[in-house]
Amino acid sequence: MDEVLDAIGAVALVLGALFALLAAIGVHKFRDPYSRMHAAAKSPTLGLVLVTMGAALQIRTIGAVATLTLVAILQLLTSPVGTHLIARAVHLRVEVPQDGVDELRRDDEAVS
Amino acid sequence: MSNAALAITAIAAVLFVARMLRGPALADRVISVDGFVSTIVIGVTIASVRPGSGVVESTVLVVAIGGFVGTAILARFIERRGS
Repeated sequence: MDEVLDAIGAVALVLGALFALLAAIGVHKFRDPYSRMHAAAKSPTLGLVLVTMGAALQIRTIGAVATLTLVAILQLLTSPVGTHLIARAVHLRVEVPQDGVDELRRDDEAVS
Repeated sequence: MSNAALAITAIAAVLFVARMLRGPALADRVISVDGFVSTIVIGVTIASVRPGSGVVESTVLVVAIGGFVGTAILARFIERRGS
């Protein structure tokens, strides 16, 4: 049983690290800040949830499992909020070169 | 296995730092700082598994909260300062 839990935990750790790498490749390769934000916001969250799961499966004390669950829940709550704050600031203040159409700005101009 | 995971996380961190240095806009730098902090949290969590590393799970909690506060402050900074 212990070996099985250790193996599942190890696989979850490596998968979580791979999601962090996926985010980094996305941020490195995409062309404008909004698509970079899309890469940087979502996959590290899933990566952190996988990594905390793997760590909890490997450590297996009640305190560690509680703390790591708290970390995962906290990340799921704060990551969208932080990304939304950045996206709002960028859209309000920064002139961004974009692919395609900025529909929000187009609607603003149509109204005014 | 945790060695492999730490190595992958290190590569991810290097890619984030490269984007942070290249920019070109302030927005790109802030986004990559945000992702870099997430990568640090993942790395600290992996380090807490290794026996004898001296990292405990409470460290992960502190780093995660600090990362969110940092992101919020950076977003405020852009809103006040402009580009």
